[in-house]
Amino acid sequence: MTVYLLALVLFCVGIYGVLRKRNLIKIILGIIIAEHAVLLFFILVGYRLNGRAPILSPDAPITQMVDPLPQALVLTAIVIGLATTALLIALAMRLYGKYGTYDIAKIRELRG
Amino acid sequence: MSKEQGPGMSIIVKTVTRLTVWLILLYGIYIVVHGHLSPGGGFAGGVIIALSFIHLMLAYGKEMALKKLSEGLLGVWESTGGLVFLVIALLGLTAGYFFKNFLPAGEPFHLVSAGTIPLSYIAISVKVWAGLFAIFVALVLLRVDTEQK
Repeated sequence: MTVYLLALVLFCVGIYGVLRKRNLIKIILGIIIAEHAVLLFFILVGYRLNGRAPILSPDAPITQMVDPLPQALVLTAIVIGLATTALLIALAMRLYGKYGTYDIAKIRELRG
Repeated sequence: MSKEQGPGMSIIVKTVTRLTVWLILLYGIYIVVHGHLSPGGGFAGGVIIALSFIHLMLAYGKEMALKKLSEGLLGVWESTGGLVFLVIALLGLTAGYFFKNFLPAGEPFHLVSAGTIPLSYIAISVKVWAGLFAIFVALVLLRVDTEQK
């Protein structure tokens, strides 16, 4: 239960970064932290005590495995998160090329 | 600090990169080839292979890395990976259905086993490292493009 609360705390750190920071790069970092907190929560839900990697091997019994289903989901989510992060960074670089700043307050002032 | 250093980071970073980049590349290939036996597989190994190229680019500058692997060739590699994966899946139709394992399964827990799955992993890894390195190269070239304006 404690580790679930720690994942929630990590998620709140990411949300704080998104809501409170002015710099676009720090907002993107907050999005990444929140996303990985959710992925960490999924992995922790599928974990069992003293479990091993969910793959067949000749000598170990099949009963002591962690749940492989959240791991497959998280692997897909990591790929999609990579693509969205690349898109966010490209948009931030375009904004920097147009306005010359990463500060979202100044970008709003320079509209028009 | 010397004048004839050229682009990239300092000589310490360059020396360490020259010594370790092949180890990173070999570890990625190991993860890909053993994908059907141990944790890992096409995506994880492809990311490690792409990280070795990104490591080279960070230490030596973009000209050196793009001389080893130009950005036009990256698209060719990525398309090749996707096409090989599709061809492996379509060849299953000759034995029955889509993605059917038409090769002999072999001995379990040996390196050459599991039919088409290692070949699919290799195709996925080619697509992943080419795609990931292409994203990095695109971001680097995009910054150059905005600076020139």
